[in-house]
Amino acid sequence: MSTESMSMSSQRLVDNLAYKLKRRQVVGSRAAALETLLVLRQVVSKARFSNIDQLVDIIRGAGRKLVEAQPKEYAVGNTIRKVLHHIREEYQTATGGVPSTSRTSFSISKFLVQGQPRKQAVAVQSEDRPLLKENDPDDPDSFAKGLKPVLMEAIQDVLDELETVYDNVSKNAKDHIHSDEIILTLGMSRTVEAFLKSAAHHRKYTVIVVESAPSYGGHEMAKSLSAAGISTFLVPDSSIFAVMSRVNKVIIGAHAILANGGMFAVTGSQLAATAARAHSTPVVVCAGQFKFTPMWNLYHEYAALDFGDPSAVLGFEEGDLVDKVDVVNPYYDYVQPELIDVYITNYGDHPPSAIYRLIKETYYDEDNELDSSTTAPESSKS
Amino acid sequence: MPSMNPGPSTLTQSGGFDVYATYEKVLKNEELSVPLAAILTLVELIEASRAGTMFELVKELNDGAETLKKRLSNPISLNAGCELFIAFVTLFPHDSDSFAGLKTELVQQGKRYAAEGLTYRKKIAELCLGFIKDDSVILTHSYSRVVVQTLVRAHQQKRISVYVTEARPHSLGTKTYEALTAAGIPCTVVLDSAVAYVMEKVDMVLVGSEAIVESGGLINAVGSNQIAIIAKSANKPFYALAESFKFHRLFPLSQYDLPSHKPDILSFRHPKWRQSRTGLSEQPNKADSQTAGSPALGRGAQTTAPTSITQEEIFQCNPDVDYTRPDLISLVFSDVGSLTPEGVSQYLVGMFAG
Repeated sequence: MSTESMSMSSQRLVDNLAYKLKRRQVVGSRAAALETLLVLRQVVSKARFSNIDQLVDIIRGAGRKLVEAQPKEYAVGNTIRKVLHHIREEYQTATGGVPSTSRTSFSISKFLVQGQPRKQAVAVQSEDRPLLKENDPDDPDSFAKGLKPVLMEAIQDVLDELETVYDNVSKNAKDHIHSDEIILTLGMSRTVEAFLKSAAHHRKYTVIVVESAPSYGGHEMAKSLSAAGISTFLVPDSSIFAVMSRVNKVIIGAHAILANGGMFAVTGSQLAATAARAHSTPVVVCAGQFKFTPMWNLYHEYAALDFGDPSAVLGFEEGDLVDKVDVVNPYYDYVQPELIDVYITNYGDHPPSAIYRLIKETYYDEDNELDSSTTAPESSKS
Repeated sequence: MPSMNPGPSTLTQSGGFDVYATYEKVLKNEELSVPLAAILTLVELIEASRAGTMFELVKELNDGAETLKKRLSNPISLNAGCELFIAFVTLFPHDSDSFAGLKTELVQQGKRYAAEGLTYRKKIAELCLGFIKDDSVILTHSYSRVVVQTLVRAHQQKRISVYVTEARPHSLGTKTYEALTAAGIPCTVVLDSAVAYVMEKVDMVLVGSEAIVESGGLINAVGSNQIAIIAKSANKPFYALAESFKFHRLFPLSQYDLPSHKPDILSFRHPKWRQSRTGLSEQPNKADSQTAGSPALGRGAQTTAPTSITQEEIFQCNPDVDYTRPDLISLVFSDVGSLTPEGVSQYLVGMFAG
């Protein structure tokens, strides 16, 4: 149903990105989020709908396709959820809340979930509701016409947030890094890179970069940091524990931050975090809030079950061995919330235990599963 | 209505309405959990009430809740229900024309919520499903309807086997055993003292609850705390299942802060002192009922053979529920979502603060 109302050109855009994600031509959570958002903007601007449910269905349909194409790029799903959240908010302000009388809509279960009633009671009634009429039989497009400008603005907000994410994360960098400290970081994370460089404007400190085999993102990081004039050491992964006794702080990036406060991060992060715990060294994670993922690490406790090309670990030049051993090259580690001290995001610093609440605020619960079949009974209820 | 103990305290100001009898009548519905029964009792109180103002009505509700509380030895989950409903009544945004209209509205709200509350177990069972993996071994404690329903639901889709603790003194574990075996789930009863023995084989611990308190901690049948401690030391997840009406505004710092704690629970009886007392009152040990007037003294005096203790005595001086710290709990599953223990306080603050 959703595919019917999506125009051909938007369909093609969605498919195009889905293929790119599948082939891993778009990698990294920010790139994936940006691409998703640009596609969604097109989809929404071309979409034909006469009520909010149709619009949500269209976006969900597109989202489902993208998420299925690459379920391990969590930022794709997060972006879609965020856009859905913004759309629902805009819709509610535009139509003046759920069309029902204020009094009967309050109930004990609502009281439990939303708290004391004064907040909801105010918003209703003041809006000029006739402006936006859903399912208008005379002009089915009028609802879309009225709503689209605000929707575009909402999407632009998300886009702006993504574009300024590095600046906002590193805004307070100088408060987290002190002079003459030794910082350990791991692999290549743009967020951490921006964070460290921003702190370097105000402080002189030393960074130990772990090279993080087999991607060797650490090499790129070390090059970039030393070019910015930061005193940098490059060490192999095997010496993480040995150098940890001299390290004041571990600052790493994240791939996805999960609802329980744990995270998926580049392989080696779990090792560094555990070593840091053994030395009581604080572990700081820098990440934008678009990485917040309403998901729990259900079964695979210690890895994200996302594997890269094994040839980076053991190439075909070792022909004799290749037959005899299985080689795995996991992209990401799972780091438990107990090992992390603080998340520095573009909206402030949060302990792992607060992530759960932030996720509840950022997304609507019913969007957590983009698969409409499982949420159908849920959404019919509300 | 006739009551066992028709003292002035059981009757509220609204004449002949007996809260406790109503509560017992409501609780005859086996499906209702205590907080919902409490809400329905208060709903009936509103129906019977002749209060003409909000102030009077709230006072009657508070008195009714107080009366109920005094009659129960363990009022914790009852309190949760009463406090939720009374807070709701106080804050209900009323624009009814008459006070009678408001009362009918409140009654309807209460009844609707009780009906809705019965669907929460199903919701929780669905929510838990994703966390139970195929072929897993689950340990549960005592008897909880929501846990049984969750396990039965999981059994439809996944292969699970269940260890259930016997859960003395009430031995409700056997009830769970019967329910699960009837549903075709492989199940074994574990002695409370064998929990550490069995923990190695367990993949996760799933318990129900009397109440989830503001710290995110859990109040549940006694023994839950030790299971949580053992699960923590074995690095096994410990999940608590609770419908949201069991969230309770309480902040116990230790077992002894629970409202169910009484001074005679696990108190020491000094052997010397007891001997001197038994010398004074030479009674056979059946004289329980006569000395019941002053429990602390009476129990010290009742044993003629001071070196032995009966099962009955052990049960009497032991607690029914205990408190589990939030750091031992992995997640709380509730109809409002799967929460970290800290997440619970958010709802309580939303309802009761400010």
